[in-house]
Amino acid sequence: MPAPGATPAPAALVPARWFDGRSSQARAVLVGLHPAPGGPSLSVHPVAAPGGEALHLPWREVGWPEAWSARRPQQRVVVDLHAHGSLEIDAVAAWHSALAAAGDRPRLAQRMQTRWGIFLAMLLAGVLGLALFYRYGTPWLATQLARWVPLGWETALADQGLAQMDDGMLKPSQLPRARQEALRARFQGLTQAMATVPALQRYPGYAPQWSLQFRRGMGANAFALPGGTVVLTDEIVQVAARQGLGDEALAGVLAHEIGHVAYRHTTRMLVQQGVLQMGLELALGDVSGLLASGSALLTAMSYSRAHEREADCFALGLMRRAALPTAPMGDLLLAMAQDARSGGKDRQPGKATEPGQDEAHPVWSLLSSHPDTAGRARALRAGQAPGCS
Amino acid sequence: MPRPAPPGAARMHASFASQDIEPHPLRFTGSGAEFLRVWIVNVLLTIVTLGFYTPWARRRTAQYFFGHTLVAGSPLEFTAQQRRMVVGFLVVVLLTLAYKLAASTGQDVAVGLFILAGAALAPLIWSSAMRFRLGNTRWRGLRLQFTADWREVYRASWPVFALALVWLAVFFGLQALAPAPLEGAGAGRKLPQVGAPMVALVLLGLVLTVLCLIRIDFNYRSLLVLRASLGTEPGRWKPVYMDFVRLWLATVGVFLVSILVLSLLLAGLVGGSFAMVKALGQGQSGMGMVLFLIAAFVALLLVLFLATAPARAYREAALFRLTWNNIGVSRIARFKCDLRVGRYVLLRLRNMLLTLVTLGLFRPFAVVSEYRMKLESVTLHIKGGVDQVAGTLARQQTGGIGDALADAAGLELIV
Repeated sequence: MPAPGATPAPAALVPARWFDGRSSQARAVLVGLHPAPGGPSLSVHPVAAPGGEALHLPWREVGWPEAWSARRPQQRVVVDLHAHGSLEIDAVAAWHSALAAAGDRPRLAQRMQTRWGIFLAMLLAGVLGLALFYRYGTPWLATQLARWVPLGWETALADQGLAQMDDGMLKPSQLPRARQEALRARFQGLTQAMATVPALQRYPGYAPQWSLQFRRGMGANAFALPGGTVVLTDEIVQVAARQGLGDEALAGVLAHEIGHVAYRHTTRMLVQQGVLQMGLELALGDVSGLLASGSALLTAMSYSRAHEREADCFALGLMRRAALPTAPMGDLLLAMAQDARSGGKDRQPGKATEPGQDEAHPVWSLLSSHPDTAGRARALRAGQAPGCS
Repeated sequence: MPRPAPPGAARMHASFASQDIEPHPLRFTGSGAEFLRVWIVNVLLTIVTLGFYTPWARRRTAQYFFGHTLVAGSPLEFTAQQRRMVVGFLVVVLLTLAYKLAASTGQDVAVGLFILAGAALAPLIWSSAMRFRLGNTRWRGLRLQFTADWREVYRASWPVFALALVWLAVFFGLQALAPAPLEGAGAGRKLPQVGAPMVALVLLGLVLTVLCLIRIDFNYRSLLVLRASLGTEPGRWKPVYMDFVRLWLATVGVFLVSILVLSLLLAGLVGGSFAMVKALGQGQSGMGMVLFLIAAFVALLLVLFLATAPARAYREAALFRLTWNNIGVSRIARFKCDLRVGRYVLLRLRNMLLTLVTLGLFRPFAVVSEYRMKLESVTLHIKGGVDQVAGTLARQQTGGIGDALADAAGLELIV
């Protein structure tokens, strides 16, 4: 044991076995760790030749083993010297204290591994960051990526989708031709009005092939296909007539669907789904597949709610531009909701339901892709919705 | 100071010393709780980085297991370069993206090309992954190596082509055997008549298929050991094809027994639930019936999962024991394995249930306990001491892409 006051060694020496990669034979060595700017450097001194040439390696040329536990040191650690073989160290505690003394800064993964405080801090930061990313990051990314999707792809997708639905539940419309043409004229007026307002165009230069189609057989509804096709059902026209609502109500619905097309919601949703699915599979695949697909579903729902809100805002803007009231559309929404709930059997003509009657059911609002109908109707009646820019 | 030993032990020791063979049980010094932290840190960082931490996570996991595996007192080392693993991972991500894009936009030609190329390159990818894994495993400063070249790998894949031939033969055989007067048979008969020879032909095809699949498994495993080397010492491989066939038959037996046990259990359950359905039916029908059907569906899935689990665990354990009882390193080392297959199957079933119940959080404990049971069943017998192996100047192995592809295909790094 060196006497106190003797000249201090340049670094603490740790006994080790050195395997040089040429045979499985070990050489007894002493390992020194020296503070250096980039990280500690390492020197290997063979015990058999004390004065002989020592091997010096800078921080970058050594594979430093990770410490896995603060309380329970590993039985034996191996240091990777790459081309120079490897070092086997029994004095693990001495090795770690020598590393710390030489100014080693462990990586983030090791700090999280050995200290709960840092792990919890990272967990919190991670949850927060992810929530922000899923809330704002992926929608933004999808909006940007959608610019690169050609119109031809959208129309092909729409044709395919409509053909499938025609084979399934949809039937040809029974509306009189004159009625159809009147609504088409309204539709055309709206798309032309939209073209004059730059503020309503999220994708400048995006020129969808607008067309309005009529179908029957899926209840009171309207939907937009990517690329410019909007479909109205006979039932929604009938509900509007039964409630005594004018064509302004249907125009509002059309404006809403035009908004879906202009903002390319279907395309954005598909892109988002792809990005998210991939990210979630990578991130959560190791934990459980159920969790991954569950979170993908939940985020998709929250996005589509955001899309509905966006389309409502678009409708408000467009209707204001066309000098049309939006209140009838709000009444129509409530009537549609009631019609759907009573299974379409409620044939009694009557006044529009009071919005207070149709307050949100929390479960329905969470599971439905549409925001609560009463809230939307109120916003449309007032002519402005919160959250519209 | 030497301890006094019983005379029998002394004689045994002496007889070992004369042949100079020392037994070294393999040991695993890690723990489930510790690996839970490794895993949870990996999961968190992977989620935060949207998946791009994956190659780092894989390396940490491998280093944890290798570093805690003691072979004759010396830990194994996982020396893969992080950079290569990252490049491999990125290539696989891009390939997957391209494939998904092609599949979701309905470009059937591109999808077909992807699948064909994947099938044609599969042997190459496998050998590249094995070269990566063995080449990055180091023990006492010596690298393992996998030295098979691509010709050997494709030659070992002959059963794939045999499989294709078998089914071609079955197809044409069926056409030849099909009864000719099909048109004249009239409208009364809906299906073509299936004769005993046709059934026999299809059965023969199935048997040959199974034999071919076993042969592929055998060929690849034996190639892996025979073309592996530690320093200058090549691997040794003793099992024969019939061992694998017997093991497969035993697996089928285990599967049948577990089906039998499960169906006996189910018979009891179904009897009980019929009574319940009746009770529900007398009350209000709608909701209770739907709930019952959902429960029955979930139960059916669980049963299917349970029915195959013992057979899969059995096959894994029996194959492990067969392999590690019959391989060695040239003349200097051989392995003995006393894994108890029944205990392993029970361990696997327990782990599966606990993993299911904890929504996956038990997985690190499951992985550690299974790895430990398998590893610690192996004893290494070394003739002439551990210091004698000479190394070859093997370069750092490349091929991170093959490894990443193998990972994507579900070949685990920790086996």
